[in-house]
Amino acid sequence: MIIDSSNQVARTTLLKRFPVPKNFGVSPESRISKGKTWPASVGAVNVKAFEIYRYDPDSEANPRLDTFEVDLDDCGPMVLDALIWIKSKVDSTLTFRRSCREGVCGSCAMNIDGTNWLACTRFISDTATPATIYPLANLRIIKDLVPDLTHLYAQYEMIEPWLHAKTIEPEKERLQSPQERAELDGAYECILCFCCTSGCPSHWWNGERFLGPAVLLQAYRWLIDSRDEATAKRLDGLEDPFRLYRCHTILNCTRTCPKQLNPGKLIAEIKKMMVERQA
Amino acid sequence: MARRYTGTGKPAPDNRSPFARATGLGSAKTGVEHWWAQRASAIALVPLTLWFIAMLMVHVGSDYATATAWLRTLPAATLMILLLAMLFYHAALGLQVVIEDYVHSSMKFAAIVLIRLVCLVLALAGIVAVFRIALIR
Amino acid sequence: MSRPTQGRIRPLSPNVQIYRPQLTSVLSIANRITGIVLSIFGVGLVTWLVAAAAGPEVYSAFHDIMASWPGQIVLFGGSFAFFLHLTGGIRHLVWDSGRGFQLGTIYRSGWLVIVASVALTVAAWIASRFMLGVH
Repeated sequence: MIIDSSNQVARTTLLKRFPVPKNFGVSPESRISKGKTWPASVGAVNVKAFEIYRYDPDSEANPRLDTFEVDLDDCGPMVLDALIWIKSKVDSTLTFRRSCREGVCGSCAMNIDGTNWLACTRFISDTATPATIYPLANLRIIKDLVPDLTHLYAQYEMIEPWLHAKTIEPEKERLQSPQERAELDGAYECILCFCCTSGCPSHWWNGERFLGPAVLLQAYRWLIDSRDEATAKRLDGLEDPFRLYRCHTILNCTRTCPKQLNPGKLIAEIKKMMVERQA
Repeated sequence: MARRYTGTGKPAPDNRSPFARATGLGSAKTGVEHWWAQRASAIALVPLTLWFIAMLMVHVGSDYATATAWLRTLPAATLMILLLAMLFYHAALGLQVVIEDYVHSSMKFAAIVLIRLVCLVLALAGIVAVFRIALIR
Repeated sequence: MSRPTQGRIRPLSPNVQIYRPQLTSVLSIANRITGIVLSIFGVGLVTWLVAAAAGPEVYSAFHDIMASWPGQIVLFGGSFAFFLHLTGGIRHLVWDSGRGFQLGTIYRSGWLVIVASVALTVAAWIASRFMLGVH
């Protein structure tokens, strides 16, 4: 029951979901109805069931939960392989984002067995039976497992994730010592998959105004970049009861980051900077 | 979901660009004072509440005379007043954050004002009671 | 973005309905719930003080309610809430200093909070029973 790294799948489950009704507080268009079952083909021996959230914008129906029986002998080891197998062998309308299949692009971020992770780096053998696959939590769904990330990208744009420097560009590079460069470790590696933001309860309730862990992580990346000269303006822009201070150190973000980054810690560092400039 | 306060109670149609929606009304440029006050009152409350719990355990089951005699002593009265002030300050700050988190309609401001008022009244009532015990035989 | 060009509202993917409760989120909401419960106990504290200021009859009436077994259950619950909020709060203060954010430390300190709260609650009640016997 002690988790030392976010890629550890919890072995024991005391509570699979919070004790709220299945469609708790859900508006009519989001209610999930019962879906179809797609059985495995005859002769398949090593079969596993996958329950997958489906939504078709071209029909009038509500979202539903389909069950697919996947032949594990015919399919690769990762959850993404299962999705691709389903799409090519069973139901070609299953829609999801994917690209690198090695955990570096962030496209296939989704909710697997209740926690957010990348489908391409989650082993099928580490999933429950049946495995439940939902899109990233609390986002508007375009189709099936494809969420609308427009608002999250807009929040990212708002923190101005580029170098602000009035100082004239030097002949070669802007100098930075190895120690100064080391400050960026743990922040620059973010692949913007938004697993953390989508798993943050504070962002669920206040996502319109709260920036969320991913964007705040990037805000920190620019705050501690020694070459950046707009630290003051950046901190002014963040010091807001909603933009920064909706973070209550819930730490679902650190628990779920598929790249083992620590947004919670770096947001605490931003808060420390806020206090430091007051004293 | 936050909406524009149109006053009609129905969510207003939102044709703003994504960037405009994300930017909203801009940064309030404030917030660290609330955060720091919450932490400072929390630090003060650690010894104060532990003292109070210890005193409760020591004086458990005591009657009116014993309890009031204890409250009448200078250390007990002072610490009790400090406890009341810090407790309701911390509670008011915390409950304000809870309301901001969950209430998104125009009720939010009324609720925050009400909570702060209730905490102030309770703190004052408690302090006045301590004074009354201390000063009136 | 809630609406594509046709105008139909896009559904919102489920959040609290399907997201797995983890030590992180469960202890966080427990800290909030205990905080709210303790605010209500704050009203109780003021009631006790006002009762003490109002005279012996009012005070003994209040005392009798708290000494009854429903009152004792309420006080027990309140003391557990207090210790959970206290230990959880100290854990928060450590985080605010910037320390304790490694995932292993988060989990270990989380379990420590739960164990310490139970232990402190039991210890406090045993100690107060002992004091009651001493009187």
